[in-house]
Amino acid sequence: MSVAGIVEIIAFASSAFIAVAGALGMATTMSMFRSAIFLMASFMGVAGLFILLSADLLGLLQILMYIGGMLVMALFMVLFMPDPGGAMMAAMPEMMTPIGRFFSLGLLPENSHAAAAEMSGAHAEHDTHADHGGGHGTHARHQDAEHQRGRERKEGDDAHGGGDHHAHGAQGGSHGMGHMDMSDMSMVTPVRAWAAWLAVATGCVIVGLLVLRPSWPVSSALPDPRSADQVGSLLMDKYMVGFEAAGFLILIGIVGAVLAAHSGQHPDHRDREARVAVNAPPPPIEADFLEPLSQPLRDDDKCSPAPDGGHANHHAGGEGPT
Amino acid sequence: MGIGEGTGFVLLALLGGALLTHGLERWVGPPERGPALPVSLSCGTVLPNADRWLFPAGPIVGFMGVLLGTVVLPFGPDLVARDLGIGVFYFIVVIDFVVLGVALTGWGANTPGAVESCYRIVAQLVAYVVPLGLAYVGAIMMAHSLSTTRIVEAQSGLWFIVLQPIGFALYVVSGLMQSYRHPFLEPFADGIGGGILSVVGGWSALLWRIALAGVLFLVAAMGAVLFLGGWSGPWLPPPVWMAVKTYALMALMLWLGRLARPLSTAEMLALSWRVLIPVGLANVLVVGILILLHVGPG
Amino acid sequence: MQVEGNDIEAAYSLVGLLVIIAAGLGLLAMALWRRPSRTIEAPPAWAQYRFGFLIYALIFLAFDMEMIFMYPWAVVFADLGIAAFVDMMVFIALLSAGIAYAWGMGGLEWE
Repeated sequence: MSVAGIVEIIAFASSAFIAVAGALGMATTMSMFRSAIFLMASFMGVAGLFILLSADLLGLLQILMYIGGMLVMALFMVLFMPDPGGAMMAAMPEMMTPIGRFFSLGLLPENSHAAAAEMSGAHAEHDTHADHGGGHGTHARHQDAEHQRGRERKEGDDAHGGGDHHAHGAQGGSHGMGHMDMSDMSMVTPVRAWAAWLAVATGCVIVGLLVLRPSWPVSSALPDPRSADQVGSLLMDKYMVGFEAAGFLILIGIVGAVLAAHSGQHPDHRDREARVAVNAPPPPIEADFLEPLSQPLRDDDKCSPAPDGGHANHHAGGEGPT
Repeated sequence: MGIGEGTGFVLLALLGGALLTHGLERWVGPPERGPALPVSLSCGTVLPNADRWLFPAGPIVGFMGVLLGTVVLPFGPDLVARDLGIGVFYFIVVIDFVVLGVALTGWGANTPGAVESCYRIVAQLVAYVVPLGLAYVGAIMMAHSLSTTRIVEAQSGLWFIVLQPIGFALYVVSGLMQSYRHPFLEPFADGIGGGILSVVGGWSALLWRIALAGVLFLVAAMGAVLFLGGWSGPWLPPPVWMAVKTYALMALMLWLGRLARPLSTAEMLALSWRVLIPVGLANVLVVGILILLHVGPG
Repeated sequence: MQVEGNDIEAAYSLVGLLVIIAAGLGLLAMALWRRPSRTIEAPPAWAQYRFGFLIYALIFLAFDMEMIFMYPWAVVFADLGIAAFVDMMVFIALLSAGIAYAWGMGGLEWE
């Protein structure tokens, strides 16, 4: 076996492994952002497979589409779903499968063990003063105790700095989280075990059909390395109608997106102005209702700050851009 | 080039380029804001709330982006690590890894400034990809190829900056967006404490310094390849010409950038989608007509 | 000129090697950096958040699809003459109509 052959096998195996492992991670991790990243990684494995088949343009197209698409999708998940980072769900290990626990490693803060122990003992009193920042008050009253324990851990944990967190909580509440109903956040269905085994069985059947197929037709054509020329000629020649139809579909997509997003109906909440860049000169300091977004990060001084490194850390954040 | 020489060449080119970029940015003016902020290289950071898989992956992905991007830069008629058939397209794809790296670091750090930096970097991606692509398309059309070497060779008669001035202006503006320099430095703004630069230290600070200087270097070098004729030139050896053009273009971009006031994310997105993209589409139209009239190479 | 398909794999083998090198260098640096380090305490920031460039992001996805058509077209355009030009002009006209619609409906705004 030549070196090229061995390298090819290693490349194929690693691309295939990344593709499958990425998909598995996407489906089982508790953090939504990680889910998007795993899907991106899975498609990078697929891109590797494309490149091994000499379709380098298609392979790189995959990567281009999925970096842009997955980052935007991650932001959409942050927009719509509570707990996009997975820290809250990861604190409930009893709800996860072993694979889910593996892919959710590293989400919890390092001092979470102490917090969890304190939590289970003290969750009774957290019920009564659950009304920290206004937005979280409504769902403290009529929820499952188990979910509440995970939620309140975030609010009552002193290690995270109470004051900033309240402001942060109020900030989150003002975005319309007040009516968040914890009970439909269940990520576990009763048939999960059946679904997993069915998926494994289907996979085995498909792979078996592939392996046991009598004969593979071998094409004598050599792959053409000039992929961009090939794709371009085909687009202009054989698939021109499809190309224009794709343009039309994209137009419909744009129109649908603009209509569905109901632009102009969500004016900025006044508290947002200090936090997010707006299409206007920044407001004067007196109108800054929020605590500054960038608190001077409290760090222990195990090492003296570098001569200019102190600049970024001790900046009070009160002055806006410009 | 063989694999060994290719690897060495790429590492040398990237580190040398990033070092010279670092020097040029400091010479142009003390960087009081933006990605050139000095970050402590000797003191690492420990973030208790971080996502321990995503946060360390960020700097590695960012560094990988610039390292892979250097592979298709031509420094001479045969001095290119790999002359990929789809070189320019590969370059565009791979530079986006820097955005991915900032997003991973920002989200993974789990501090308000860093997470805000993650959102802003995605806004930057949304803003720069399409105008930048339209600027590239003009040069690709005239050179009939996506290969960087062929694009340089197609300019042996006349540089593309003469034939496509609109495309060049578009490239300068989108290039500044792509490298997060003034006036498009919202992801690293003062208001969020420098964004991810406030949570990196030690090894991650070193990798980010290389990546952020490297992305400006790569953008300027690709601009030199696309519009300024790459390594072609009369007396000096080709790599010297390439370096001269790269750093001249970089100095021009930095200087032009500083003439404008820093733009907020909203203004940057509006600029990109209302001004740059229509201009880019018009540029494609103009270049197409020029080619049909047989102006330009071959 | 018939070239072997293996050229592509040979070309990208350097890319693959550089990916491994970048990952290796990064992990090495992470493991070996034993200087003093400071702990940064900050409130956790993973929360539901309404970012303001929603419609920009949706339209960006659509235009990303457009750009993938433009790159191969740009390569072959000069050899195919005016027919290809008209094809692409129709395509660009469709997408410009999309941007014009979004702009007119107030979609290209920060929210």
